[in-house]
Amino acid sequence: MNVLGIDTATRVLNLAIVNNSEIVVDYKLNLSEKTHSATILPALDGMLNLVGIELKDINGIAVSIGPGSFTGLRIGLATAKGLAFALSTPIVGVNSLESYAYRWLSLSGILCPLIEARKGEYYFIVYYSEKNQLNVIKEYQCAGWDRISQELLKHKGNIFVFGEGVSSLLVNEKIKQYKKPTRINFIANKQGIANAAQIALLGEKKILNQQVDDLDRLSPFYISKSAAEIVKEKN
Amino acid sequence: MENLNTKIEEIIILGIETSCDETSVAVVKNGKYLLSNIIASQMKFHQKYGGVVPEIASRKHMEFIMITCKEALNKAGLKINDIDAIAVVPGPGLKGSLLVGLSFAKAIAFALKKPLIGVNHIEGHIYANFLNQHNIKAPFISLIVSGGHTSLILVNRVGEYEVIGRTRDDAAGEVFDKIAKYLGYHYPGGPIIEKLAETGKSDAIDFPRPLLNSKDFDFSFSGLKTSVIYFIMKERDNGNQVHINDVCASFQKAIIDILKYKTFAAARYYNISTILLGGGVAANEKLRREFIENKPNENYKICYPPKELCTDNAAMVASAGYFKMKQGITDSYNLEVFTK
Repeated sequence: MNVLGIDTATRVLNLAIVNNSEIVVDYKLNLSEKTHSATILPALDGMLNLVGIELKDINGIAVSIGPGSFTGLRIGLATAKGLAFALSTPIVGVNSLESYAYRWLSLSGILCPLIEARKGEYYFIVYYSEKNQLNVIKEYQCAGWDRISQELLKHKGNIFVFGEGVSSLLVNEKIKQYKKPTRINFIANKQGIANAAQIALLGEKKILNQQVDDLDRLSPFYISKSAAEIVKEKN
Repeated sequence: MENLNTKIEEIIILGIETSCDETSVAVVKNGKYLLSNIIASQMKFHQKYGGVVPEIASRKHMEFIMITCKEALNKAGLKINDIDAIAVVPGPGLKGSLLVGLSFAKAIAFALKKPLIGVNHIEGHIYANFLNQHNIKAPFISLIVSGGHTSLILVNRVGEYEVIGRTRDDAAGEVFDKIAKYLGYHYPGGPIIEKLAETGKSDAIDFPRPLLNSKDFDFSFSGLKTSVIYFIMKERDNGNQVHINDVCASFQKAIIDILKYKTFAAARYYNISTILLGGGVAANEKLRREFIENKPNENYKICYPPKELCTDNAAMVASAGYFKMKQGITDSYNLEVFTK
């Protein structure tokens, strides 16, 4: 089964195709002068030509629903919806945090993927990982590092922090990674910020388990309400 | 891409419009025959904020786009594979809103290997006229007047537009909205002011008609807006009872006078006898009647769309898309949104 993965949650445009749990192609563009909106379809066209796969041979679409840039997410999701509708394929929305955890599934212990939010905060989720199984112990949230680290240190064992937000976390919080032994391990990997291949792999697994999403209703994972709604509720 | 030079009897276009706060998808045959036009309005989500909130609009478009598209196809009795081309608005409008419709439209066109046609939102309003008037011939002048735009456009042929006049400040519809808001009414203000004006005297107050005698065809409405609001304020301060209906009727008269005067002045200057109205304010009954009943002479042909096609809708986009495609005008998949 060919599953197309789309990740536009970050500034890197990332498309991938997986087939039977193998990555066929993982295509990344980091073009600050061009928008995802202008490049996503030409990139898809180029990638398909390169690997000799036709659109009609795509059997499913997996797309990042965030958290991430709202604009980026909406470009990716609206594109994914149009493709899934026109090609009559199933669609799966994959949370970016879950896709990061899936990437480090082989680690045992506490896994905490991070994505940088605004105002020094980070989107995160906490899993307990054992025998390639992820168990959620703290649901999706947005908080500053003080609160996140407190939460993590409540749990025993090795703690692994990774994901798009780690690089800036290390800088912002002035964390010296190898200064002293600590239970918290940071995995900073600049190449890993866009994650279409993992999203497609996870998507393929979900499609095979018939955990597909409703094409009509699938929306980005915003975590918070829009600023206008928050202000209105306070008043 | 299909060969457009061969004679094609029937062309079915899917139109998509998400430039502001309406998610709309339509199916139109040969640019003139409306098969369906579905509009999911978000008005109730924005009303409590007194105007459109861009982030909320973007979120709602994402929620509504797929279901609106399916409904448009269902109502037309067609499947997505029956569509010959996709027309979509890349701008002007709200960036986040436009991106939802444009990304969706491009993906469908790409997946079906069908032509993609970008239609300027204002261009769409012009072609709303073609959906009920089947014998409009260029050249014509179009007055597009809405909450976001007030423009006079000279059209010598399809795809060739010359903006010969535009507002220098507020759009005409915006002034309706702002005065309604000042009077304590919800957005959109146009229908409320029109209703109040029905029982008012339009010659009660002599509001200014800015730029009426300027040499160009530009508009200015902010001075009019200020004098209406200032008038109400002053009357209230002086303890006078304000006859809101008279204020609304007089204000509406002033704005229609300006629109009419400038439009016919432009028609005379360019020697054009066909005038097309469009945009939300063109749904105003008084404005429509004024243009028809009090035109300078009988040689003018005045067209306006049915009221439901004056406000933002995708049928006008599909119609414009058809006429552009017939001229060989299509776009590539790197088509970008623009806000102005």
